[in-house]
Amino acid sequence: MTAPAALARRAAPVFACIGLLAVWQVASLVLKNDSFPTAIEAIRAIPDILGDKESLINILASLRRMALGFGVAVLVSIPLGLLMGRSRAVAAFFNPLLMVIYPVPKAALMPIIMLWLGVGDITKTLVIFLGVSLPVIYHSFEGAKAVEEKMLWSGAAMGLSPGQRLVRIVLPAALPEILTGCRTGLVLALITMITSEMIARQSGAGNILFNALDMGQYDTVFAMIIIVGAMGICLDAIFERVRARLVRWSEPQFDMPLSFS
Amino acid sequence: MKVVPSRSSEWVKPVMPKKPASAIIEIERVSQVFQTSARKDHVALSDISLTIEEGAFVSILGPSGCGKSTLLYVVGGFVNPTSGSAKIKGRTITGPGPDRGPVFQEFALFPWKTVLGNVMYGPRQQGVRTTEAEAQSRALIEMVGLKGYENFYPKELSGGMKQRVALARTLAYHPEVLLMDEPFGALDAHTRTRLQNDLLNIWERDRKTVLFVTHSVDEAVFLSDKVVMMSKSPGRIREVIDIDLPRPRRRSELLLDPRYQKYVVDIERMFDEVDETGALL
Repeated sequence: MTAPAALARRAAPVFACIGLLAVWQVASLVLKNDSFPTAIEAIRAIPDILGDKESLINILASLRRMALGFGVAVLVSIPLGLLMGRSRAVAAFFNPLLMVIYPVPKAALMPIIMLWLGVGDITKTLVIFLGVSLPVIYHSFEGAKAVEEKMLWSGAAMGLSPGQRLVRIVLPAALPEILTGCRTGLVLALITMITSEMIARQSGAGNILFNALDMGQYDTVFAMIIIVGAMGICLDAIFERVRARLVRWSEPQFDMPLSFS
Repeated sequence: MKVVPSRSSEWVKPVMPKKPASAIIEIERVSQVFQTSARKDHVALSDISLTIEEGAFVSILGPSGCGKSTLLYVVGGFVNPTSGSAKIKGRTITGPGPDRGPVFQEFALFPWKTVLGNVMYGPRQQGVRTTEAEAQSRALIEMVGLKGYENFYPKELSGGMKQRVALARTLAYHPEVLLMDEPFGALDAHTRTRLQNDLLNIWERDRKTVLFVTHSVDEAVFLSDKVVMMSKSPGRIREVIDIDLPRPRRRSELLLDPRYQKYVVDIERMFDEVDETGALL
């Protein structure tokens, strides 16, 4: 790749963010609506939030729940998905159950879960867990199903037991697909984190956002939206780094540029 | 039709004397029936019996759909026959095992492992110490002509190179029988020829038993001691032809040898017959 092309690729995300803020700024100035602060006003409110100890504790509590929900979901969903992909009986049992849960917005389950488990951490973490597990299960399932039969036969001929084949052949072979599911799961973790705090107001980033909304502090509301968005970008970038490292062997060998100029 | 070796073969002694033949694989009345979606049974193999002697290079030849790969999978233990049984050294085959090493047309390499990692996989699984497994694997990689590619990933290799890795990976755990399922079927003509030559060179060193599935007549004649001709619908053995050509075989010499030419022409004719009857059924 030529130097200018590489530079353009690195600078592109920065331009995208600046462009978005510029459009926001102009739109806000044109609309002149009290509940729609300008981008600059929102950005000015960010240091107040991040400087406030209470707010920081809230945001960290959110992240902790999200990490726990995401982590447990991944640990449970990958083995389940792989088993479903390699055993028709397991798939036949779990498929209808998952199909029932998948389309239900996880936040819609919150009121019921709150009745059972209260408004504390357990409820919110459970909702994040539910949100993350379904895409991870499905991608693991599809990845495991697609593993070449002959690859498993080769392993069997070397003396790998069924369990060893699942861990040492199906898991690595399906890893690119599994990680695609995890990436979707990560975004869903962020979404369910905020929505769970919107419904069970007690602490967290979502709590700050909706409290500010109730009190008409619109610059704080939009500052929180920026913070949550930035968290999403950072988490995704970190995840992408880890992913690229783990599945370098599966990346296409040649770059396919849009044009061959 | 019976293929009789031409008269000239009588005074040409094989270069290496044959070991006293003992059966290593015995296929006894194997039938394989698959249920197709149309609720009609498809008979892939019908009552196949075949004995393969230790150290022999045996090709199974036939038109596509004659069940030749299925027969190989039965020996590999990947497919259980509907009836009958296959035995290796007198033991009934119930599943795959390291005594039978497959090499598939699709290569089936582990894409997350390097060339070295792929070749070391079998020995490591068998409990060979890492340093020892690595030394053996490096020697095998050199033998199949891939020295310098140890740290490449499969996606970085051409089809021919991938199949060389697959062969090395299988040889690495010392199977008693090599099961080759149209191994050169996905390769271009030139690569195919080179791999056939190299396979023969490697095979002539230790004379492992090889069961080799192919639909190429000259490939079968060039490589084999014995060609098993199959017909399709249902898959049956039509003829077993001994290829009485001296070893070590050189392609350049063989192509000019009238005996080789006669084998190819005769078997090709038989192949056409078999293919036509299959089409009629």
